Amino acid sequence: MHDASAVQSGVTSSERLGRRAAPYILILPSIILAFWIIGFPIWDVANMSLHAVNRFGQLKGFAGFDNFSHLVTEPLFVGCLFRTLIWTVSVVGGTVVLSMPIALILNENFGGRRIARIIIMLPWAVSLTMSGIVWRWALDGQSGMVNATLFNLGIIHRPIAWLATAGTAFPVEIAIGILVSIPFTVTVYLGGLASFPVEIFEAAKIDGASPWQEWRYLTFPLLRPFINIALVLNTIYVFNSFPLIWVMTQGDPANSTDIFVTWLYKLAFRYGKLDVAAALSLVMFLILLSFTIAYSTLAMRDEEESAKSTGAPGSAGAGAQTGAIST
Amino acid sequence: MTNTKKTIVSWLCLSPLVIVILFPFAVMISTAIKPRAEILTFPPVWLPKNLRLQNFVDMWHAVGFGQALMNSALVSGAATVLCLLVAIPAAYATAWTRFRGKRLFRQFLLVTQMLSPVVLVLGIFRLMVGLGLVDKLWALVLAYAAFNLAFAIWMLQAYFGTIPKELEEAARLDGASTVQRLQMILLPLAAPALGVTAIFVFLYCWNEFVLALTLLRSTPNFTLTLQIFSLVGGRYSVEWDHVMAATFLASAPVAIVFACLQRHLVRGLALGGVK
Repeated sequence: MHDASAVQSGVTSSERLGRRAAPYILILPSIILAFWIIGFPIWDVANMSLHAVNRFGQLKGFAGFDNFSHLVTEPLFVGCLFRTLIWTVSVVGGTVVLSMPIALILNENFGGRRIARIIIMLPWAVSLTMSGIVWRWALDGQSGMVNATLFNLGIIHRPIAWLATAGTAFPVEIAIGILVSIPFTVTVYLGGLASFPVEIFEAAKIDGASPWQEWRYLTFPLLRPFINIALVLNTIYVFNSFPLIWVMTQGDPANSTDIFVTWLYKLAFRYGKLDVAAALSLVMFLILLSFTIAYSTLAMRDEEESAKSTGAPGSAGAGAQTGAIST
Repeated sequence: MTNTKKTIVSWLCLSPLVIVILFPFAVMISTAIKPRAEILTFPPVWLPKNLRLQNFVDMWHAVGFGQALMNSALVSGAATVLCLLVAIPAAYATAWTRFRGKRLFRQFLLVTQMLSPVVLVLGIFRLMVGLGLVDKLWALVLAYAAFNLAFAIWMLQAYFGTIPKELEEAARLDGASTVQRLQMILLPLAAPALGVTAIFVFLYCWNEFVLALTLLRSTPNFTLTLQIFSLVGGRYSVEWDHVMAATFLASAPVAIVFACLQRHLVRGLALGGVK
């Protein structure tokens, strides 16, 4: 960092050097921390995935792509891949679609709107682990309140062990996944809706546009960039989501709720197949990287557009990670 | 008249979601205040015949709630401070100075941002083994700070960017050094941004699960989330009255703070994004 008095005395070479070095000195701590805690594990996992590794984590010689072929021939691989797809597509799709009417309603002026917003945002504040624990109890086959409620309403006639049955556990988890992803997505949409100029909507009303037409030809196209952002970010979070499934079923019964993340955890810390786990880690890392590239292209495009018009989310929500299901 | 109608219709449309969101909170409270004998019945009822608030006291001792609370507060606080200390200069550099490789740096941030710890959990575990930090709270502090770094830098540089550059230039002409300018102009002006960022980082740390599950071994070191999970995970008989009392005590304060600050937090996030 350069000396203050040098500023007045004109441009000396040491000052110029100082000024040029200053930004690098300022970002250095962050680079060190990130490379140390995030960069090293990436390298380590990549390295492991190319070596034979015993269950104590010692590297036993180069293995080429053996670990990857072991990975795809694991009996659980195809099932987990399939469920990861179903999980990601249904949770993200459900969230992005369901959040739309909610955001549109919350954007209107009605009595108690503030309270409604607070309630809808509540799942955001509660950790996924806690949500998972409470839902696991609520869905209990014997004494759960879900069964009690459905029973009292006459919808079911005997208690259902929701999470202990292979056919119901996964759909129930998807529903809860959607529920906890809604607050973040609604927030993104509301940010978009708040940024639109009011005049064009008034003009549309004067021209006699029906609410459907207004949504179809004005709101929806204007919201497009925000929907894209919500799609990509939710995909990343949901693909990575571990706590909900781990807390509710740990991938059981009979691995019927295992997705890549939970299987990865089991491979590494339960089955002791460290080399296969490392291969899976690397595959997931590469998938995420491609999502990230998709996201940054979208964000950059919007940033360029927002330079011209207003209201596009720019690099939105790079920030909003905390909201996410990934916590 | 139309307004009343609109209010009713709006709430009717939202009601299914509102019910499903409030349902777990009702379950938490209902179970937490029941005596154990009333819990394991079918069909269970919402209101207990005998109110039992003693559950909270019993739970506090049986679960070791105080210790876990302390651990969570320490880890989250330390990680938030470390993360901001590292992020502030970096955000300052990306917002207000020009340097080669800035674009690369921002892209690098974006990539670390998208990585969830769970994908790298094996590598992080091995790193912490190498550092001798397994079962140490410091391991979590380092990891949480690192995984929130990109978010913090991103948020802060967006705010810094909204502060008029002339202020900074004037200070420079008056002979203020880089550190002085950061200290006396940027940080006071960016205080609200720092607050919003700190709250989100803290919330992340407070709620984090996978790393705590992997890196902590012995109960006295467990964070709150992990401690409560350990009452449920891999057990045959779960004392649900204690578990629900604990989840309620762990979630309610966070939810209340979040609800009170919600408008600021959401606006803060939007600003961080809109840039």
